Amino acid sequence: MDYKNVTGHIYDIQGYAVHDGPGIRTTVYTKGCPLSCLWCHSPESQKHEFELGYLQVKCLGADICRNACVDACPTGALTRGEPVKALDGSGMIQKAQIDRAKCTRCLKCAGACIPKALYATGWDTTVDEVYDRVIKDRGFFQNGGGITISGGEAMAQFDFTLNLAKRLKDSGIHICLDTTGFAPEKLFAEILPYIDLFLYDIKHMDTVMHKNLVGVGNELILDNARFLSSHGGALQIRVPVIPKLTNRETNLRQTAEFCASLGDGVKLVQLLPYHKTGRMKYERLGWRYKLTNVEPPDDAFMERTLEMFQSFGLNCQLY
Amino acid sequence: MANFDLPISDRVQDLRDKRKRINKDLRLNVERNRILTEYYKTHEGQYPILKRAGYLYDWCATREINVDDDDIFLGDAGPHTRTVHFDIEQTGAMWFRSNFGDTDERFRAAWQVPGSVWVSDEEREYLLKAADFWEDNDIGATARGLFPDEFFAGPMGAFAKFLNGSYPGHFTPNYEKVVLTGFGAVRDEAKAKLAEIKAHTTTDNVRQDLFYRAMVKTCDAIILMSRRYAEGCREKAKTATAERAAELLKMADSCDWILENPARNFWEGCQAILFYQNLLTAEGVHWADSPALIDSYLGGLVENDIATGAITREEAQDYADAFILQIGNQIIMFPKPNNDQLIAAHNEGKTLYDLQGGGQNVAAGSLITLGGQKSDGTGDYNLATELFLLSYYRLRVAEPSLALRVNKHTPDRIWELGIACSKRSGGLPQFNNDDVIIQQLLDKGVPIEDARRYGIFGCVEPAVGGKEWSMASNCGAFGGGTGMLQTLQTVIHGNRDPMSGMERPGDAKKLYEYETFEEIQAEFVRLAKAGLDNMARMNHFAAFVFETAWPAPSVSTMTEGCMESGKDVTWGGAKYNGTGTMTNAIATVTDSLYVIKKLCFEDKSVTTRELYDAIAANWEGHELLRLKILNEVPFYGNDNDAPDALATWVTDFWLSYANSLPGPNHGHVNMGILDLAWVAGGKRTWATPDGRKTGETLSPSADPRPDAVKNGPLSYVKSVAKLPWDKATCGGAINLRFDANSVRGEEATAKVRELIQSFFTMGGIQFHFTVADTEVMRAAQKSPQDYQDLIVRIAGFSAYFTHLPFDDQENYIARYEIMV
Repeated sequence: MDYKNVTGHIYDIQGYAVHDGPGIRTTVYTKGCPLSCLWCHSPESQKHEFELGYLQVKCLGADICRNACVDACPTGALTRGEPVKALDGSGMIQKAQIDRAKCTRCLKCAGACIPKALYATGWDTTVDEVYDRVIKDRGFFQNGGGITISGGEAMAQFDFTLNLAKRLKDSGIHICLDTTGFAPEKLFAEILPYIDLFLYDIKHMDTVMHKNLVGVGNELILDNARFLSSHGGALQIRVPVIPKLTNRETNLRQTAEFCASLGDGVKLVQLLPYHKTGRMKYERLGWRYKLTNVEPPDDAFMERTLEMFQSFGLNCQLY
Repeated sequence: MANFDLPISDRVQDLRDKRKRINKDLRLNVERNRILTEYYKTHEGQYPILKRAGYLYDWCATREINVDDDDIFLGDAGPHTRTVHFDIEQTGAMWFRSNFGDTDERFRAAWQVPGSVWVSDEEREYLLKAADFWEDNDIGATARGLFPDEFFAGPMGAFAKFLNGSYPGHFTPNYEKVVLTGFGAVRDEAKAKLAEIKAHTTTDNVRQDLFYRAMVKTCDAIILMSRRYAEGCREKAKTATAERAAELLKMADSCDWILENPARNFWEGCQAILFYQNLLTAEGVHWADSPALIDSYLGGLVENDIATGAITREEAQDYADAFILQIGNQIIMFPKPNNDQLIAAHNEGKTLYDLQGGGQNVAAGSLITLGGQKSDGTGDYNLATELFLLSYYRLRVAEPSLALRVNKHTPDRIWELGIACSKRSGGLPQFNNDDVIIQQLLDKGVPIEDARRYGIFGCVEPAVGGKEWSMASNCGAFGGGTGMLQTLQTVIHGNRDPMSGMERPGDAKKLYEYETFEEIQAEFVRLAKAGLDNMARMNHFAAFVFETAWPAPSVSTMTEGCMESGKDVTWGGAKYNGTGTMTNAIATVTDSLYVIKKLCFEDKSVTTRELYDAIAANWEGHELLRLKILNEVPFYGNDNDAPDALATWVTDFWLSYANSLPGPNHGHVNMGILDLAWVAGGKRTWATPDGRKTGETLSPSADPRPDAVKNGPLSYVKSVAKLPWDKATCGGAINLRFDANSVRGEEATAKVRELIQSFFTMGGIQFHFTVADTEVMRAAQKSPQDYQDLIVRIAGFSAYFTHLPFDDQENYIARYEIMV
């Protein structure tokens, strides 16, 4: 099959993605997600369209690149900012300044920016291109590793994800699909034969709370988990433990019960304590980080939760 | 994962505290240099090897013997614990005159304030006078007496004149024989040989006669020293508590026995290694004397001790801990600082000891190798492997360096422990790939049973343990170091060195005079060959300096081949011979060549003249071009075949050609890839086509430049793995840095192991890694007192982060960080 025409929107390919499944993995991150979790640590993955990212520290001032970004901008959203001291001490420079209200996300400035301070949060690609890139890492997959297709929500670009999985499967690569579970069941049925392990999030057992936290109810997600586990799918379930939001005893207990009810399909449950590492990314996108008042849960609480999950006979670990 | 956090015993903790205390109160080893000077003054006519052995005997017979109250093990190369060693015979009179001949006020500020390495007024005066004697009698004098004029005229001229720092060391003598056989047997053998010669003396065997007499003298010397320590223990026992007295008397009995005879238990085995190490250090003139495979021959002893109930497992761990602390007590003053540096350091609350840690492994460049294979190819891991790894894990010390050999026999627990240890103490141990390193030795003609017994010494250099005079000492000296980079500079600038403005003789074009990239490559090869030929020539002369007047009898007693042939190691007596040199800055050279190739000859977007002008101007007025190069040209380190192919080409040519040259003593030249000073080296290097400005750091060893890594860690590792490591016979490593998040979780150890094994399967030979978050290092800069245990892997050694000079700290923080 010719995969040249199957295109996808991705925002990163990351090697040594050791947190995305067994062994050493390379992860393909697709862009666009139907959910919008409050604690999302990759906000750049949420919208399907590419956005303009700005890593201000890399901007060397408009003089050096002769106003490249300012001149490229058709709407006047980019201007020269107030003079600031250059990091290398060479004098005062005027860094690019974005008026997000005027920005139409045409991304012409990102193409013009030489030090890549302005950048598009993703690129269009084809299954062939992604395959050629990730297959180079094959030498690291000897011991259970492989490729993880992640997001955003990879199932939202189903054609691309399915064909990438098929292409990799043909080469004997171990494939994980990191999914929210929020996609029609028939699509999961179609992709199931090509996925060795689903990395599957269960975020909240109460659908109203679920909708409040991530924007959609949990029915479809829970149904798909039941579908996959009862049709031979292997699941590694991941439970985010977010203080004040998902860490109530009843919710966690119900989550454990649900995982246990899925039977043998659940290979592992990972409890993921909240961390703040995604915070900086919001700044680069000009977004507001909403969980300003949440701190990571303490170790003792996580240990207790782990014991509770284990008491359901689940193979569970803190991550 | 197993829990390795077992408590350190109070006794070992006391030893560790004592060491930290002493670091603020170090003394220079004047004793050794005084005994040497007096011996040489009174034996001027004696044949060099007899003179050397005679001095060693005097040293063993007259040196001060100190037994401290709390010591588990004995011995130091000087009269005090952690005496700072140096070799007066290769220091150069100038150093003494400028530092000890300085004004009283400056001398005191450098050598006589609290925290300084103490030199008394009497010692100052003695060393100044001694320097007068050595000026015409030291190693530099021998070199000046036989080097051709061309050596002094070239860029290495100042160096050739004094030969400071070109120690013919970096080797691993036969510590196994020290432990399991002893010097008594060596002495008997030498005496038998002398009797044979006496019966059939001819001009041809007179030199052998001298050699064997030196062997007898050296064996007598170390056996005597051990007995004197026995005496010291008995003396000390008279005033000790009953419990300590019993221990001291037991130690005394052991000291009466060991060195002459085979060690009978773990303590004796460890102590024999330590005394021999002291002798090697005191002999001087060579360094990085590295005990290889100690677990292999101490394992049987400790397992027997535990089986017979002589000691408990906990006591065995105490011995292992104390051994590592004791062998790390050797400190060598290299490089030698001047008064300005010392005074500046003291003003910042630092000591000479702190200054040493920035540039090398302070324990005299010594390195311990663990694990590997027996000569029959089976795995060689035992309880001692685990005990010593646990010691490093517990003690968090950076010296001596530590190497772990891995192969298909390596037990899971040793992998786990090795990785856990390196996570805590950056780069200790470094991991060595048996498959490729053994093959390298086979390729050199070493039989398989010897190849399987290799050890690592110094930084990363492999050699056959106990059988090879490997002299990998020319790292950064004759033609090593920045040779490849200099070749590149000559291709660009012709014979005018842009840094100094000096003109070199000969014809060489400038960058804008070449028509094709192939022409540039051909010229690169021509220049490189000329440089390497010259390096080889100089190395033969340097080896001859030592053969002529500076033999190493302490090494020859315990190096296979010497006793059999009647030749000192410096005369070619060892079973295997070699000399080692390093090349460096692979990425700076590769990326520069690739920029020229791509921009000037493929894309034709920049002319060679424009690029030359930009570099010549140190990019001033050409910032846009520089930015385009940095951001748009794919560099080495991204698994991109175009630049990587150039890296492979330049490295393969360099290693193959150097390795093909004849080495001293009919041995091999071994070229490796390692740099200890890319920050300092960068300061001496003009701007390069890869967008680097004058003075900026070079790329570290074989690693890509950190800011050029754009495709993540696996692509980085793959690029480095493409280099022809099977030809890096002097060693070379990838050196990675992780943030803590990338190695958290229960599976992290298994994943790091997979990464190491993947790199090794792809052909890599050595793997170093550190776990250190930028935040942690920033905090350590602010509050160094709270981060004394923070150890990071620099290159062939690990350093206490807080001891690094500020520039090196910043450079380390800027290293590529694996963040997942």
